[in-house]
Amino acid sequence: MSALVEFADVAFGYPRSERPGERGFQLESVSFAVEAGEVFGVIGPNSAGKTTLLRLLTRVLTPARGEVRLDGRPIRQLAHAELARQVAVVPQDAPRPFPFSVEQLVLMGRYPHGPGRFFESREDVVLARAAMAATGVLDLAALPLEQLAGGERQRAMLARALAQQPRLLVLDEPTSHLDLRYQAETAALLRRVNVERGMTVLLVSHDLDLAAEVCDRLLLLGGGRVARVGPPADVLRPETLEDVFGCAVVVDVSPVSGRPVVRVAWPSGASLQPGR
Amino acid sequence: MSGGRRLALALGVLGFVLLAVAAAALFVGSAGLSPGAVARALAGRAGPESVEAIVTLQLRLPRVLAAMLAGGALAVAGVAFQGLTRNPLAEPSILGVSSGAAFGVVLAQIFGLGLSALEALGVATFAFAGALLAAAAVYVIAAVPGGLSIQTLLLGGVIVGVFFTSAITVLISIVDFNRLGGVVHWLLGNLAPIPAGSLALFALLALTGSWLVLRHARELNLLALGEEAAVQLGVDAERLKRRIFLAAALLTGTVVAFTGPIGFVGLVVPHALRGLLGQDNRLLVPTALVAGGIFLLAADTLARNVVAPAELSVGVITSFCGAPFFVYLLRTRSRISL
Amino acid sequence: MTRRLALLAVLIVPLTAGPAETLSVRDMLGRDVTLPRPAARIVSLVPSVTEIVFALGAEERLVGRTDFCDHPPAVRAKPSVGGMVNPNLETLVALKPDLVIATDEGNLEETVRQLRRLRIPTYLVHANRIAETVDLIARVGELTGRQAAVAKLTGEMLRRVAAVRRAVAPFPRPRVLYVLWPEPLIVPGRSSILTELIEVAGGTSITAGDGDAYPRFSLEAAVARAPEVIILADHSTGSSTAGRPMPEQWQRLASVPAIRAGRLHSADLSVLHRYGPRVPDGLETLARIIHPAAFR
Repeated sequence: MSALVEFADVAFGYPRSERPGERGFQLESVSFAVEAGEVFGVIGPNSAGKTTLLRLLTRVLTPARGEVRLDGRPIRQLAHAELARQVAVVPQDAPRPFPFSVEQLVLMGRYPHGPGRFFESREDVVLARAAMAATGVLDLAALPLEQLAGGERQRAMLARALAQQPRLLVLDEPTSHLDLRYQAETAALLRRVNVERGMTVLLVSHDLDLAAEVCDRLLLLGGGRVARVGPPADVLRPETLEDVFGCAVVVDVSPVSGRPVVRVAWPSGASLQPGR
Repeated sequence: MSGGRRLALALGVLGFVLLAVAAAALFVGSAGLSPGAVARALAGRAGPESVEAIVTLQLRLPRVLAAMLAGGALAVAGVAFQGLTRNPLAEPSILGVSSGAAFGVVLAQIFGLGLSALEALGVATFAFAGALLAAAAVYVIAAVPGGLSIQTLLLGGVIVGVFFTSAITVLISIVDFNRLGGVVHWLLGNLAPIPAGSLALFALLALTGSWLVLRHARELNLLALGEEAAVQLGVDAERLKRRIFLAAALLTGTVVAFTGPIGFVGLVVPHALRGLLGQDNRLLVPTALVAGGIFLLAADTLARNVVAPAELSVGVITSFCGAPFFVYLLRTRSRISL
Repeated sequence: MTRRLALLAVLIVPLTAGPAETLSVRDMLGRDVTLPRPAARIVSLVPSVTEIVFALGAEERLVGRTDFCDHPPAVRAKPSVGGMVNPNLETLVALKPDLVIATDEGNLEETVRQLRRLRIPTYLVHANRIAETVDLIARVGELTGRQAAVAKLTGEMLRRVAAVRRAVAPFPRPRVLYVLWPEPLIVPGRSSILTELIEVAGGTSITAGDGDAYPRFSLEAAVARAPEVIILADHSTGSSTAGRPMPEQWQRLASVPAIRAGRLHSADLSVLHRYGPRVPDGLETLARIIHPAAFR
């Protein structure tokens, strides 16, 4: 198996003036690879740089140092449309306001495959409908996106990404607004997409359980650097996690899947003091 | 029904309505010509110096064409601005461009270009210069490192518009009483018969601007996903924003240069169309071109005839009728998303 | 000899015959206008010119006027083409005029351009002085073929003007403020006929050197120039009270000589804003206000 995505010694910093109130943030010397066909998770504390990493991958941002490569080619050499044919992103939130229907949304995913076309082709429509069927939103196709419930909306956004027929599917916090049932559904969906279509999946999440269950390998980011890369059992160790997250944790093993389950070691009343 | 088919159907229906309204406009007017006389003039069978030929071919026909072009251009500019700013309340005048153009013309009128042959071109040129100045100002205000900020664009447009409007007010307050009537009259927006050469130029500019928007109608849809998401789909968002802004400014500036500021068309027509056709800009842009023409033509025909032999300015009708119509549209909001 | 005469005739006859009776004149803005001699279907876009046409007895040649042409009352019988600023071109064209008379002060350049494009002969006028008014009357006479009536009309006018001049000559000239409109304060300026009329009537307009025709003026500056006579123009017409001057507001200005001396007058002087045959009427009224002693 070859690396589909490579980050080679990437560094990035938001200029201080652009993000008032935030300390100028740095990604330093980030190097890792994502193998084709795997489900890869990026985890870490809130300001660790997960979203920045994602933006660097989709060329919304350009690294200050180092290189991001897709299939061995530096992505800055690729045209935006070409990159879009390979990489599809499911953002955290649905766009607002969004006055289009679900079907119109999903059809937008076909743009990279025919940017010169004015109207989508019949084949585009067929592929879009197949994507909607895959995520179970086909019967909602004619409804405005804004009328859908949170979970349905997420699935519609996923359908749009699938319609893009990418080699790499990127998801930013796919379960952050979802209740338990939809979290489970999303996890199952991602697994199915990965197995049935052979699609490489990269997800960014602060939900460690989801990451542990679904991902083949994890990247733990801390303070702008790679803390650890590897299978969940390797990465999700109490010492490592306490180091990066700065609080005590307990790691169990799930009786169902054998994967690590991370829990916060809730402090007792006596030690609940600021600064600890 | 596929997108292409829906568009063809919509254009067919609207085109038919446009022809009907244009025909009605040609047959109605203060000169009291009989339908037979008008028909004769149109067929070229009336004497070239006859009243029906002069009224029909030199007064009404150019005016009908100007109304179609101006209305279409304003409606397309409205669709473009609303797509660009993702704000359905964005109107061409909100970008300050029409105020800039109006300022240019008021300046020209006050300094009295006199009745030289140059001034026929002069007024429109001043309007263009004013429009370009305003557009450039808005652009400069909204340009942040990395590109064009849409939020700042809206704010900048409002500010630039307010600035030029107050500049106009200053000019009006010091202008000689004698010239005041002319300035106020121009500011209300009027469709006067334009000579063939200017009309051809007007058409060229309006159609060029509309074409620029139409080319990018699909990308404009994608902009609704958010700029970042659009870029991730392969859209060159910065180039798109620049081009749409320029096209919309061109359309607005052109209309103001030839007819004076006419409001509401760019707001009412796109909204009415969205209620019928949905939000897809690929359908909205071409239909706006036709529907805008219908709207302004109807308004102008009304303006010309409702208090004959006096004439109302078409800008008065569009605002007067446009405002309650827009309230009605807002109240039936189910198809409109804000 | 006969052959030479015949040759001469062949040359001269075409020159004298010419195209059917056209007149090539230069209008008051220096442009050449070609029109049939004399014009038989005139549309006047200038109320002053309309008055002159009637005064010269040429009204049967007038086929159109504006809404503002209100004198003499008989003019109401003539069709109107709308306002001065936005005349209805269709109505105008339907009247089949062979001459349109317009002014650069009150009509739009755009209107004149449109008329030129429609190839309707358009004659532009402009009169800011008594002398120019007299010239205007002569020109209208030429355009309507009523030259014979001009001398009598203008002679009478000039006689009355001279009489006023003589009557007020012995008296000192008071400073006069003429208020065309109180709020915003609008006064006659350099190029208004009113300025000259005030001068002829034996006064000096305190705004004689200001602005263009009817500039805005600040009340402060007016007060600072200490007018000795204030005349408020009354724009009200018959039943409507709109435009009636309000002397109470001016009474407050106790420092102004005119107020102290009780020389605050209002008068219907709308006729003085025209440059036509009624100028002497207004002039006499103006002179009576400024120098009542001269006319006892």
